[in-house]
Amino acid sequence: MENTDFETNIKQRGQIVSMLEKGDIHLEKAVELYREGVKLSAVCRKQLDEAKIKITEVDGYAPSK
Amino acid sequence: MPVITVSQINRYIGSVLKGDKNLQGIIVKGEISGFVRHYKSGHCYFSLKDRDCAVKAVMFASYASRLKFQPEDGMEIIVSGSISVYERDGAYQLYVNDIIPLGAGKESIALEQLKRKLSAERIFDESHKKKIPFMPKKVGAVTSLNGAAIHDIINVLTRRYPLCELYAVNAAVQGESAPQSICCGITQAESAGCDVIIIGRGGGSSEDLSAFNTEAVARAVYNCKVPVISAVGHEVDFSITDMAADLRAPTPSAAAELAVPDIRRLAEITDNLVSRAGKAVENYISRKISAYTEISSRLSAQSPENRLKLMEERLGGLMNRAETAINRRINDKESDLREAAGRLDSLSPLKVMARGYSLVYSDEKLVRDSDEISEGQRVMIRFNGGGAEAEIKKIW
Repeated sequence: MENTDFETNIKQRGQIVSMLEKGDIHLEKAVELYREGVKLSAVCRKQLDEAKIKITEVDGYAPSK
Repeated sequence: MPVITVSQINRYIGSVLKGDKNLQGIIVKGEISGFVRHYKSGHCYFSLKDRDCAVKAVMFASYASRLKFQPEDGMEIIVSGSISVYERDGAYQLYVNDIIPLGAGKESIALEQLKRKLSAERIFDESHKKKIPFMPKKVGAVTSLNGAAIHDIINVLTRRYPLCELYAVNAAVQGESAPQSICCGITQAESAGCDVIIIGRGGGSSEDLSAFNTEAVARAVYNCKVPVISAVGHEVDFSITDMAADLRAPTPSAAAELAVPDIRRLAEITDNLVSRAGKAVENYISRKISAYTEISSRLSAQSPENRLKLMEERLGGLMNRAETAINRRINDKESDLREAAGRLDSLSPLKVMARGYSLVYSDEKLVRDSDEISEGQRVMIRFNGGGAEAEIKKIW
């Protein structure tokens, strides 16, 4: 989960919430989904808080100066 | 020798000039000077000059309105037209019907043509514009890494969306090698797996736009598989690159803003999802509980225990009713009895005797008539309290 990127995590969490909102699942499954959702939220939040831009600079063809 | 008028001479010269094929339908090269457009008629007046000479020129509004550029003093041009005389002033002038600019003007003509050509190929069509991904993982930037543009882009991305990776390709944005450099940069960023590519100039309004007005760059932008945001930064006129790009930004900073979402907004989304999940679970559980309650109440209604209880209740009810009925009847009878007893009591001879009456018995028989006794007979008298034996003295 920590290794998955933010976008995938947030998307997955959206799906979990939708499933919970639909509600046609077993209780055990719902509890499990909720637990996973909360965990994912924490991961997402952490990813946002700890995000640091990565910059790669490459030489192109015939760079100026 | 006949005397002729000024008008005649001017008219004659005019006809001579009109008849000279060397002066009709000619093409003349020169520089514009003293250009004036008559504000009311729209006719244009100027001089066409070279290093040594000048000739007056006029372009009537009907022709001037067809020009795709604005003639200015100092512009090198080629005109087509004819020489004729303005009879009033006796001056010959060049009557211009078209102007083609040279030099810088030539480029703008070529640009117009290129725009038309690419437009005909639908390279600028809205239907080809790709959507910018909401959360790009890798943002490409093709620009001069020595310019201000890349710093602006880095600043915005760092503040707005540090989750992404910036892949910055150094490219010449002016000079002869610029178009090829930009094209290669786009390809490089594309093959490096960028989700969106920003191409822009280094900043500074005096910079040359021409690289971004080349067919090669326009096609490279058009052919790029991932969305391209142009940040060429020219507010007056769009470059061809701007027109071919999927999105146009006025500056490199603006391009970076358009390329990525705001992390604060994402944090909001995250928090919002958490509360949504919580609500969803609450709803889910309360739904389950009410379903459970309903089903278990239905179930227990059907249990033998409950049925027994129900029957007991019914039985109890019946018994109660029976008891009530019986009690009522007993009460009725009791009150009947009490009434009867009361009545009986009031009829009791003892009561009568209590009022002062006495009973007379003869041989244990109650005497009701004087016929039943004879004189000298002994009788028994019974009072309310006590009794006495008496002898009959006289009968009447």
